[in-house]
Amino acid sequence: MTALYVLDVPENAGVAEVAGRDPAVTVTRIGPYFEITAEGPIVIDRRATGCRHAVWYSSVAGLGRSRITQHDKDALRVEPA
Amino acid sequence: MTELQHQVRGVDHVAYPTFDPKGTVRFYRDVLGFPVVHSICAAGWGPEKHPDFIHFFFDIGNDDRLAFFYYFGLEPFEGGPQGDSYSRFAADVPVYFIRSRHLAIHVDSEEDLLEYRRRLDLSEWPVEMQIQHETIESIYTHDPNGYMIEITRALRPVTPQEDLDAALTIDALLDVVDGPDPSLGALLARKAELIVERAADWEAEQQAGQQAVPAPAGSGGA
Repeated sequence: MTALYVLDVPENAGVAEVAGRDPAVTVTRIGPYFEITAEGPIVIDRRATGCRHAVWYSSVAGLGRSRITQHDKDALRVEPA
Repeated sequence: MTELQHQVRGVDHVAYPTFDPKGTVRFYRDVLGFPVVHSICAAGWGPEKHPDFIHFFFDIGNDDRLAFFYYFGLEPFEGGPQGDSYSRFAADVPVYFIRSRHLAIHVDSEEDLLEYRRRLDLSEWPVEMQIQHETIESIYTHDPNGYMIEITRALRPVTPQEDLDAALTIDALLDVVDGPDPSLGALLARKAELIVERAADWEAEQQAGQQAVPAPAGSGGA
């Protein structure tokens, strides 16, 4: 199980929205955070999110038993730890 | 945890030394338009051999002040090819570290930010960078003393959940910084645990606070 937490602020809206386009990914909420979960990897395309770089590289709030295997100008990829 | 009352009211003054009072006054007073609001002409005194000095202050808004010390007869100290009038660094010290210490002055709007950009760009100290960060937009230059100065505006108001997020980040940082793996990965793993523990309760408290009905006005007193 992969779990990624993203704070719900206007700049991060695209991150949760793009993550949720993958039918294998579930986006729910815990308090003011998006809880983005999947059985396998979560892959988010940066350009699709519309995030500028400063926002993109600081958009991850937490990782539940998961690790980041890619976080560059193209994509964020989170996999089970 | 004890709730400590928060009584302070911002920056009274921050102070730097200068070896170039002419350039400093040109930059802050004549280019940026920061008024000189206070100065002290002091003869050296005290147990240590202390040069005579001028301590002068610029208004940086909000009644906050940026101050300088100019010491008569004092020469800059050695220390390396990089840095500013206060700190010199060896050639191999990375620039991100040197730039980490800087003063950021707030403006209220994009219009104001661009006005200060215009003033700097017409001077000997043009803007070196203009950057949109996460929630602020900033311009940067170095003053005649080599001190990095940032002028910044908020892109939007800070939201309450950002205060919660900051608190969780700092608690997670303190939990991992002395551990076996002080890394961003370790912090994000610890922070996820704190989010699961606290975020839902925080939101419920926020909602309860918003729904609390204030006592009717005019129900007592003169």
